[in-house]
Amino acid sequence: MELFPLYLSVKLALVTTVLLMIMAAPVAYVLAYSEFFGKSFLEALVSLPLALPPTVLGFYLLIFMGPKGGFGRLWEKLTGSSLLFTFSAIVIASLVYSLPFAVQPMRAAFQKIDQKLLENAYVLGLSRTAAFFRVILPNTMGGLAASAILVFVHTMGEFGVLLMVGGSVPGQTKVASIAIYEAVEALNYHEAGIMCMTLIPISYAFLLLINWLNRRS
Amino acid sequence: MKRCVTFFLVLTVLLCPLSAEAEEKIMAAVAANFMKPFEEIVRLYEAKTNINIEPTYTSTGRLYAQIIKGAPYDVFLAADEKRPALLHKDGLAENPFVYAKGQVIIWSANKELCQVKDWKEMAQNPCVKKIAMANIETAPYGTVSMIALKDMGLWEKLQPKLVFAQTIAQVFQYASTESVDAGFCAYSSAFTDEGRKGCFLEVKEAQGVTQAACVLRRAADKEMADKFATFLHSPEADAVKRSYGYK
Repeated sequence: MELFPLYLSVKLALVTTVLLMIMAAPVAYVLAYSEFFGKSFLEALVSLPLALPPTVLGFYLLIFMGPKGGFGRLWEKLTGSSLLFTFSAIVIASLVYSLPFAVQPMRAAFQKIDQKLLENAYVLGLSRTAAFFRVILPNTMGGLAASAILVFVHTMGEFGVLLMVGGSVPGQTKVASIAIYEAVEALNYHEAGIMCMTLIPISYAFLLLINWLNRRS
Repeated sequence: MKRCVTFFLVLTVLLCPLSAEAEEKIMAAVAANFMKPFEEIVRLYEAKTNINIEPTYTSTGRLYAQIIKGAPYDVFLAADEKRPALLHKDGLAENPFVYAKGQVIIWSANKELCQVKDWKEMAQNPCVKKIAMANIETAPYGTVSMIALKDMGLWEKLQPKLVFAQTIAQVFQYASTESVDAGFCAYSSAFTDEGRKGCFLEVKEAQGVTQAACVLRRAADKEMADKFATFLHSPEADAVKRSYGYK
């Protein structure tokens, strides 16, 4: 009986959440505050992973990150090792897969800010960057936290994409959802049961936290 | 109210063809390695008899798990002898029979990699960074490959290179898209169009894979399923199997 896949799931979810919060912030900011040509195209593109079956994402990621794919080759040149079937590969897959779950709530939080607050900040001489860190961020903490937790639980529950690009390497890409699936397939119901029973309270606790944060903001 | 009635009428019309469909068909659970030959065998059989065969392809272990949970299959073509025998013992299947004998190979899309003495040398070649293998528990070809590696004392040594796929078909998919450098595939993969583009070395130390099939007790039409099972042994079907390297 191994609990390592559970640890790997939590690690994947944490790394994905941290990276995605940083990457999604500028996108959400642009979508919330500016008008430009092609904005609705960008919006649709960001939400696309929501609408696509994980198999479609998985298929393209497999090609794209493979030794023959553009990104895979670039990665190999930079790091000297191949990308596919490593922890880094499933982090990249999770970033794409969870992107809408980070951007949408963040954007909503940014839009909810009282415009007068921002105008005051600009009048008082704050630059846009300073205003972002000193006015927007402190006032959207609840929304940001909700977005982070949503990304976290969504990544914990990720399955289809990882099944296609993960390769179920123990200690690297064999996360809880894959390990549970394989245990059930191999009729190891006891092992599957233990992992499921551990996963449910973790995910439930995080969802309770989201509700609480949403009510507060 | 009117809208409601229209809605239900439309719904009924839409659902009707589904329930009225009572044509003759056989649901077949087929091990992933046998997909290509099975497609050809089905084509031959359907042309002869007008009976529809509806196959589901995945790993033997997965199919087995589905069958003991009551999945509506009529025949089961496994990639081992163990699981059909278990089904027979539990009273879920008729007597199993062997329909094919397969072999494990190591296949690569990169032809240069096969310019070595044997598969062990290829697997240990530093240029081969990733090797795919089917799930060692649910896919019989995976189990056999693992045993061969263990017997040769290579299992621990090759661990960092190994990548696990859910079925033998996914192994070949990883290998043919060059997501991995090589893969432990079924011999039959080498006989597909895609398979001919690469090269392979036989894994001689691996046991042959004896593949058994059985008619399931819950088959909707036993006689029809039995006839199809007999056809799996016909000279026509044997010719197809041979063309994919099965013995």
